[in-house]
Amino acid sequence: MRIDMTTLVPGFNDTVHDAQRVFRALLDALSRPGSIVAIDAALPDNHAMRDGLAGRVPLAAFASLLALTDYSTPVFIEREDNVLGDALRFHASARLTRDRREAAFVYIDDARDMPSLDAFSHGEPESPEHAATLFIHVPSLTEGEPLVWSGPGIAQSRSVAIAGLSRKFWRQRAALTALFPCGIDCYFVAGGALVGLPRTTQVEVN
Amino acid sequence: MEPRATRGRREWMAVLARTPREALQHALEAALEGARVPDYEWLRAPDIGLAMVRGRIGGTGDAFNLGETTVTRATLRLIADDGSAPVGVAVHMGRDKERATLAALADALLQMPRFADKLQTQLIEPLAARIADERRRKEAEAAATKVEFFTMVRGE
Repeated sequence: MRIDMTTLVPGFNDTVHDAQRVFRALLDALSRPGSIVAIDAALPDNHAMRDGLAGRVPLAAFASLLALTDYSTPVFIEREDNVLGDALRFHASARLTRDRREAAFVYIDDARDMPSLDAFSHGEPESPEHAATLFIHVPSLTEGEPLVWSGPGIAQSRSVAIAGLSRKFWRQRAALTALFPCGIDCYFVAGGALVGLPRTTQVEVN
Repeated sequence: MEPRATRGRREWMAVLARTPREALQHALEAALEGARVPDYEWLRAPDIGLAMVRGRIGGTGDAFNLGETTVTRATLRLIADDGSAPVGVAVHMGRDKERATLAALADALLQMPRFADKLQTQLIEPLAARIADERRRKEAEAAATKVEFFTMVRGE
């Protein structure tokens, strides 16, 4: 399908350095699960991009996908969005897929409408890096029900209150921790910030 | 059958891709006659990369990798006052970002009815003629070195 140039939104101003700063922020988010990482701080004065997808896709999700994806990483967009899809295809040469299992990166626009985590790749014991990474758009990173997170990168335990996720999601997620080194890495995205939840983190579901 | 507009665009982009920067700059300035260039935003700011050039010897030879060449590409979108937003694209050999910018700008302007005719006659046609002249000159040069081989027919 052709990329619609009339609605195409601009990407990074400075492709290399913007992508590096965003990548660094994403790395921080996964190394310290539960801490809120500002992606917009990694993109100083990038007005073109901030306006482009405002209201549709949070800046943090768009910038992260631009930084991480390329032709070798199939991207699955849960609710089809041509503007986001075209932007990723144009700026990152990413390949879109309609097959959840094949996806390396996934964008889920509505946390209430989550597909089962079993639909995505968990990687294989010999190649756990082939697991999917999910970007989940949530209404808030601080105003949900507090849950206790623990594991690598967290000193004792910490309370994290991501809003908008169902109990079913947390139970599916808890079941996956037994599969380590396989599993799924998640980022919860709201506006210009995100919280990382790597597969190593245990979340207490009561 | 592809639409006429696409064919026209393909032709002018081929001309723009073969024109050196100075010629492009002068021709664009002359064709605009001091008219203000509309503002534009970058969809892809000029960047430089490498592309593999593939070659083939004769019509039957297998394709092989000849070598890599630098390529500059740029994509911009005009913010026109009439509400249209033509997108200009340039992909050029070499590493001249300014030239890619000018060519992308010319490509976008050529899609606007207000500039199209003037640019077509004052920019594309002279540049196309220049390229055709150059090509004829080279062909003439090459033709002068042509060697004819004759085979003597042995007498019966």
